[in-house]
Parts: sequence; structure tokens; C-alpha cells
Amino acid sequence: MAPPTANDSPTTTLNNTAATEPSRPLAFRSQSRRAVNDNSTEPTPSKPTTAAKMSASEPQSSFAVKAGLAQMLKGGVIMDVINVEQARIAEEAGACAVMALERVPADIRVQGGVARMSDPAMIQDIMRAVTIPVMAKARIGHVVECQILQAIGVDYIDESEVLTPADPTNHVDKHTFNTPFVCGCRNLGEALRRISEGAAMIRTKGEAGTGDVVEAVRHMQTVNAEIARASSASDADLRAMARELECDLSLLRECAKLKRLPVVNFAAGGIATPADAALMMQMGCDGVFVGSGIFKSGDAAKRAKAIVQATTHYNDPKVLAEVSIGLGEAMVGINCMHMGEADKLSKRGW
Amino acid sequence: MTDLTIGVLALQGAFVEHITLLRKAAETFKSTRQSKDANASIDNIAFSFVEVRTPAELSRCDALIIPGGESTSISLIAQRTGLLEPLRDFVKLDRKPVWGTCAGLILLAESATGEAKAGQELIGGLDVRVRRNYFGRQVESFEAELALPFLGDGQGGCFRTVFIRAPVVEAVLGTSSGATDTGSAHDSAVLTVHAPPKSATKAEVEILARLPGRAQTIRDRTTTAGELGEEGDIVAVKQGNVFGTAFHPELTGDERIHGWWLGQVVKAAVGAKKATGEGDAHHEPV
Repeated sequence: MAPPTANDSPTTTLNNTAATEPSRPLAFRSQSRRAVNDNSTEPTPSKPTTAAKMSASEPQSSFAVKAGLAQMLKGGVIMDVINVEQARIAEEAGACAVMALERVPADIRVQGGVARMSDPAMIQDIMRAVTIPVMAKARIGHVVECQILQAIGVDYIDESEVLTPADPTNHVDKHTFNTPFVCGCRNLGEALRRISEGAAMIRTKGEAGTGDVVEAVRHMQTVNAEIARASSASDADLRAMARELECDLSLLRECAKLKRLPVVNFAAGGIATPADAALMMQMGCDGVFVGSGIFKSGDAAKRAKAIVQATTHYNDPKVLAEVSIGLGEAMVGINCMHMGEADKLSKRGW
Repeated sequence: MTDLTIGVLALQGAFVEHITLLRKAAETFKSTRQSKDANASIDNIAFSFVEVRTPAELSRCDALIIPGGESTSISLIAQRTGLLEPLRDFVKLDRKPVWGTCAGLILLAESATGEAKAGQELIGGLDVRVRRNYFGRQVESFEAELALPFLGDGQGGCFRTVFIRAPVVEAVLGTSSGATDTGSAHDSAVLTVHAPPKSATKAEVEILARLPGRAQTIRDRTTTAGELGEEGDIVAVKQGNVFGTAFHPELTGDERIHGWWLGQVVKAAVGAKKATGEGDAHHEPV
């Protein structure tokens, strides 16, 4: 498979442009992958960066930069938005990033059909409208959708189970991209498989578009329990566990040592209230994604602000009470317990 | 015995990383300082590192780090938590040592361009104008080897730096807080915001590090910026007790800058103690 060099014009020229005209969003940027690689293959007299250690598998040279943006998003809320107006509301509410998509998961559920990557023009409009990072979703395994999102300069790509999967067996090889990826997981094995494919950030899958937090809680609990088991396991047990979870042994060892995932881990899928956000933070998540929960509710701006405050002050029940008052109608929601297994988006992904 | 409480603003962003590196730096700091420093007041220092989310937590601090994150988020959350004015007092009236990285540098600047439509509240303290997202979006984020002579570590201060959607210091303004900045007023496409004035400082803005012209270094790794006669972009500045870096030392695992800054904090604390002892509370520790 050819590397995603959709626009392989001299990257140095492009970097130059970027440096001299920083505020103008270029319509189509080529990835500065070569530049970044060149930059970091320079002889390093001082000790190499230890942040690059975040992935135990031989990391791409710019992994510290990819995972670094996720670290900057920590303690924040990433909101699904479908147009410029919503993106501005999200930014003014204090979102640390937005996810640009044509339909929020709740609508994808109702309307059915094949859900695909959004129109690049719509994503670019949002990129121009806000100064915070903009993420966008690509279908599982759809390399070309990822290439397109990288070419328009999206800050993070979500290879997402919310869209209809494009590859029945594989996820995208994310190492070949310069744009960082976030991927969903239901358990530790799935998280570590995604990280070994190059994901620089993980989120729980939860059950998107339901407004029911139970699946996000289940997935976070599973990951936490498996990490706890790994931490107290002997090396022989770890090898058995790596086979059982179908994941990379060195990554599992790293989790056991760190007592957490080696990359930033957000909660996603079903978060609809400030209390939901704080619940996930108390379970050890680094931040939250809120999809349909905000713009499918009565007073989006107020709810968005409340969820941002709740994510920062997740351990302060007084603040949580204050921000939970008078938020109006929450999204209607679907009870996950009464849902057919076939309707669950989180089953997608391998 | 001196107790120094060092806070890290924990509203949003990479605050845990700072605390981890501060702990590491404090170990090194103590082991190296105790042997070579005769000054008794530096000998016995107990550092404690705390996350700061409320005005009450801030009031306990002798020094503060404002971490990387999204500057708009941090600013909005600070405003809604009632922390913005206490932060301004901490930086600009109390003049306690403060260090901002990336988003923190933006918030500590008196002026910032490339703002969101709605603008953003700044804390101020550094008489500089920064430009947000100077290098571009995430695909233009990078790592670079940077010389930081101020570290004075005998290695030329060579430091692996990480720039993520980073700002740069575009201009040094006149040295009085709240100086009117007209430098970018003609550029109507980008919004510039200013921090409200408090009390002025006599301290000069010192440029501590520049990033050599990136495009050139990438194209031809045998030439340095000095040889090309290019000064490079300003990526680290200090004015009195306020220190700012456009990059993220907290993402590297290298605690040298944190160690250096702890030294600055200790110096300021000792200076403040002496000043109070002499009955001159307004004397500014340098």
C-alpha cells in the first residue's frame, strides 16, 4: 500500500508558507511528515525524549508530538458539532476540541444507512471558524478517508465505530500517518491493539447516540480491571494474558508498570450530563467526549458550559450540584439494557 | 526550614506531567544544592506540589505553573471558577514566580493575536505579544533540538523540545504592564486581545531562547541559524518573576528546566523574605 502522500509537493516550501502565513488556513496542506522525520533523525547529543517511550513498540519518530496533543486535551471536553454555529458555541463553552461531523450519532442511529466521512468543505469551514483543535471521523479501515482528512489538515482523526466499517478484518495502519489518531475500545486488548497500530489516544466506545452512560462505564471498568490484573501478574502470567487479550506483550508490560494505558484515555459514548462527565473522570478517564448529549438537549450552550466545569471540578460535589441546576431537557436517550445486540455500535471494530 | 508550596493550575491540560517533573526536579535540586550552597536559607527547603482549581488553593501557593492545554478552555474555566482576578493579582500585584508553557505563555502575555472570534481573557504579566498557533495546525507540530544557555549546565543547555500547535513571542512591548500595542492593529483578519493593566514592573523582558529558522534547518541540516544571520523565533522569555516557554518541557521527561525554575523560585522566596525583613515589602525580588 502506498503511503498517504496525496500531495507530495516539496514539503519544505509548505512549511515555509506555514511559518510566514500562520493565521491563514491553507485550503489543502500536504503533510509535513518528511519534515518531521528529518527533524527528529538529527543526531541527538542529549538524551532522547522519554515521552517517545509512551509506545513500547518501536515508535514513529513523531509519536511524542502525536501523543503530546492528546496530553494537551486532558481534563477537557471534546464536543460533536455539525456546523460552524455549533462549533462556536462549543468553543465559547470551553471545549478543548471539537469533532466535526455531518450527523451526530443519535441521528445516524435513527436514519440508518451507511454512515461515511463528512464533506471536507464542512470540516474546513469549522476549522476556519474556531482556534481550538478540530477532529473528524473516518470509517474503520478506510485508509483513503484518513488520507483525505490528513490532507485537509484535521488535527486528530477518529477511526470510529460510529461510522459504518469499511474493512471487515483490519483497522488502518496509523503509523504511516502524520496526523494523530484516536480509537475506541471496550477492553484492554482492544486498546493495546489500536496503540500498536499507531493510535496516539484512546477512548472508551461506550454506546454512542444513546445518552446512556452504562456502556462507557462498563468499558472503563473492564480496562481498569484488566490493568489491575496485569499490574499484579508475574511475567509468565503477563505472557499468557497477552495471548488471551490478543495484544502486544511489551505494551501490556508497560501498562502493568504504569498502572494505566500508555496514552491518554478519554471517555465516550453516552455521556449526557455534567454528572456523567464527572463520573467518568472519577473512574480515571483523562477527559470526555460528548457527542449527541449537548446539541440534542434543550439548552445546548448552558449544558456545554456545565459539562466543561464538571470535568474540571469532577471531585467537588458542590460545584457539580451548582452546574447541574436548571439545565433544561437532556437528550431523550435510549436505554442500552433494552437494546438489541445487533443495534450496538460498540460491537464494530476488531 | 522553608516550606515552599508550588501550584500547577489544573483547570485543563497537561498539569499532571508538570507535577511529575517538578517532583523529579526537586530531588535533583536538593541533592545538588545542599552540597554546593552555603546559604542556610537554601539548605532546608521543603517543596510541596499541589493542583490548583480554586482561589483558596491558589492563595496557599508561593509559585505557580500554568500548563499547556487549550488557552481558550483554561481562560474560560478560570473565569467561571472566579480564578481570573486572583490569578492576575498573583502574577501582577504579588509578583510571585509564575511559569507558563504553551497555553500558559499565551495567558501570561499582555497581548495575543490569532484569537477566537469571541476573544479570550488574558492574565498578563509578560510585556510581549504572542501569536497563537504560529506554526500551524497539528500536522505542523514538531520536535527540535534547542540550545538553552540559561540552564548553565555545561552542556550548552541542549534540550529536546516539543512544539504542539505552539505560539511564539512575536514582539516585545514597552516595559509597562498594559502598554498599548498597536503593532498588529492594521491586520484586521486576526483578532488581538489584551490583558487589563495592573501595576507596572521595572523588569525588562529577557529573551532566553530562540528557535532557529525552521524551514532552513530542515532543508539543510549543516547550516545553523547563526551562520545564516537569522535570529529565529522567540520561544522562551522572562520578565522579573514571570517565565514563559512556547514548548513543552513537561512532555520530555527531562527535568532540567524545572530544576532551573525551582532555583529561580527559591531565589525569589529568599529575596522576598529579606525584603520583608528589611521592612520593604514592595521591594521586588529578582
